[in-house]
Amino acid sequence: MPENDEKKPGGLKGLWRGFRETIYGMSAHDMSRAALRTRASMEHLFILITMGDMLGIPILPPYYSLRLLPYVVPQIATWKRRMLREKDVSDAMF
Amino acid sequence: MNTLFVVLIAAIVIYLAYGFYAKRIDREVIRSDVKRATPARMYMDGVDFMPTSKNVLYGYHFKSIAAAGPIVGPITAANIWGWFPSLIWLVIGVSFIGWVSDYSAIMVSVRNDGNSLSAISHRLIAPRTRTILFVFIFFYLMLLAGAFVGILAAILSARPDVPFGIITLAVMGLLAGQMMYRWKMDLILVTAVTVTLTIAAMALGPWGQHKDEAGKLVQGPVGRAVVALNGAVDDLSGRQPLFEVGDPTNADPRIPIPGKDGVRPSTPAYDAATGLVKTLPNYLLWMVFLFVFSYLGANMPIWRFAQPVNYIGFWVMLITIVLSAIGAILAPLTGAVDSAGNAIGAFALAAVKDLGFGMPTKPFTAWQPLWPMMFVTIACGAISGWHALVGSVGTARQLEYETDGLPVGAGSMFGEYTLALLSLVAVSIAGVGGGGGRFAAGVGKLIHAGTFGFVPEVFGTALGFGSFVLIVLTVTQLVFRVMRVTLSEWVGETIPLVRNMHVSSLISMGLTLALVLTGTWVYLWQMFGASNQLMAALSLLVVTVWLKSEKRNPSYALYPMLFMYFTTLFATAVTARNLYVTIAANPKMSGLPVAGAWAMIVLAGLLIVAALFIGWDGLKAYQRYAATPTAPKPAPASV
Repeated sequence: MPENDEKKPGGLKGLWRGFRETIYGMSAHDMSRAALRTRASMEHLFILITMGDMLGIPILPPYYSLRLLPYVVPQIATWKRRMLREKDVSDAMF
Repeated sequence: MNTLFVVLIAAIVIYLAYGFYAKRIDREVIRSDVKRATPARMYMDGVDFMPTSKNVLYGYHFKSIAAAGPIVGPITAANIWGWFPSLIWLVIGVSFIGWVSDYSAIMVSVRNDGNSLSAISHRLIAPRTRTILFVFIFFYLMLLAGAFVGILAAILSARPDVPFGIITLAVMGLLAGQMMYRWKMDLILVTAVTVTLTIAAMALGPWGQHKDEAGKLVQGPVGRAVVALNGAVDDLSGRQPLFEVGDPTNADPRIPIPGKDGVRPSTPAYDAATGLVKTLPNYLLWMVFLFVFSYLGANMPIWRFAQPVNYIGFWVMLITIVLSAIGAILAPLTGAVDSAGNAIGAFALAAVKDLGFGMPTKPFTAWQPLWPMMFVTIACGAISGWHALVGSVGTARQLEYETDGLPVGAGSMFGEYTLALLSLVAVSIAGVGGGGGRFAAGVGKLIHAGTFGFVPEVFGTALGFGSFVLIVLTVTQLVFRVMRVTLSEWVGETIPLVRNMHVSSLISMGLTLALVLTGTWVYLWQMFGASNQLMAALSLLVVTVWLKSEKRNPSYALYPMLFMYFTTLFATAVTARNLYVTIAANPKMSGLPVAGAWAMIVLAGLLIVAALFIGWDGLKAYQRYAATPTAPKPAPASV
């Protein structure tokens, strides 16, 4: 079984937690996802402008890219994944 | 039959189908493994790919799939064929086909790097399958929007006590967006204020309604204001209809209920002598209102309107559903009675009506045989292609463990089936009314029983009507949003102007308007149902081909796929025939509905051709994998 399953409360507490999570999933999870998606799009656009060299798009001179690099490093893996992943219409639907 | 029996049937079916069949397939065919990394964990980006608790995901998936479909379908089917065939199809459909489609679409995506069904079909079946699917999706959405706008405009036109609640919802949506995102107010406070005001407005609509000495319904102040508005608009044409249409199922909300003598009376919107529905200018007014509402939802920033409206709608629906479900259990136990003194828990609708297998003998009459038509009229609740789309793109990428796929995918489908049964119960216990009206009356009775008589039946009915309109409307605005995105992706490269969101929205709405003006929404619903079920069959086809490619036994997906594929092809053909016979070739019909009917007949032909192409490609792919001695290598990672 997954490790963090052991940390989950059982009994009434577990039921209450499951109920709360389900209601959250029904009511607000899609709103959270939309907010995250908006933020990610803006961040990734910023990285594209500043670090476009990595994908073969020279937009900023490398000097400035280099200065910004330490701030962008944590995002690079997910940025490349999102930028290069094959997408179609259904990706924009949900 | 009473409501408690249906509750027991629901519980037993879920226990048997989920506990034995679904778990066995999960264990022996799909072989879900808690230790295998899911795309959410492999490609976590904190946005699309994000490991999420199965409880949260269950709620998310359930809400994404359980919209208006499980309510509208059973209502319509019960009115045409009776409650018994509808109940049987819901039970068999969900047990052997519905959960299979939802769960398998999620799992096939999980095992293919979280790719969408169209991307998987591109790889597994044929490149053109993806293109055909996109075109298919656009027309499928158009039919859905047409069916929803048609029934909503008819309800808003026929029921003066409903529009006030819906106009308030629009205002509350704007307010909630402002409060949450601009004023940064507490979510609980925003919820309390906006949901309370929306429900209060829904209750205010029928406030003051009463029957006079002759038994005629007299509207309250809000209803009178709406009647006056409708009248002023109708005066533009001298209260003459713009055109007339026929509804062979009498499901149109503008058709009045029969009187005590069993005869439907004539009204300003219905001619009892000819049986035709008159399209008055006020119908167009409400249609324009719906388009404006949807335009805002499709084009404003999603946080500003569409999302808050959905959020408020969710709470109103939840309250309605929970109170109705409690009522369904309590009514037979407490022996609750309605205002006429009838037992609330007892079914009033006929168990079986005309099954329609014989060809109609009267000219210009629709043919509604139980097979295949009921199987497309009830889509969601039994099986739906929409679920596969949501599951493969939205849910599969958030699955933390493979073993969560069954409770999330199959569990949500069983949850939706319960909602469909509740709709069936509501419509079956109400003795009078058309489709939406009968549902609302049933909900009113259940809420009355569920609150031990605290909520009067008339307000329960208003809540039922409001919830019905609200859930359909929230879906409609999102459908237009998706339609404009799909259209701009589809033809944006060829015609750059379509990339403009206002242009693509207006084109989508214009095409939908043409469909709505056929006037016979039941055909639109059945066409949508057929395309939806066809989508489900195509998703099952992808699953079948994938299982074959993996050298697993595909039977559990193959047989449901074949049944749904041929059923929906026939249903589309029968609907095209009905459109031709009752509208296109009917000399009583005027130009606009006839043009709309021809457009739908052409659309039916396109859907059939698209399905045949995909089916042929699927068959060839299946044979190709059947001839391959070993399983091919796993799909490459997308990056």
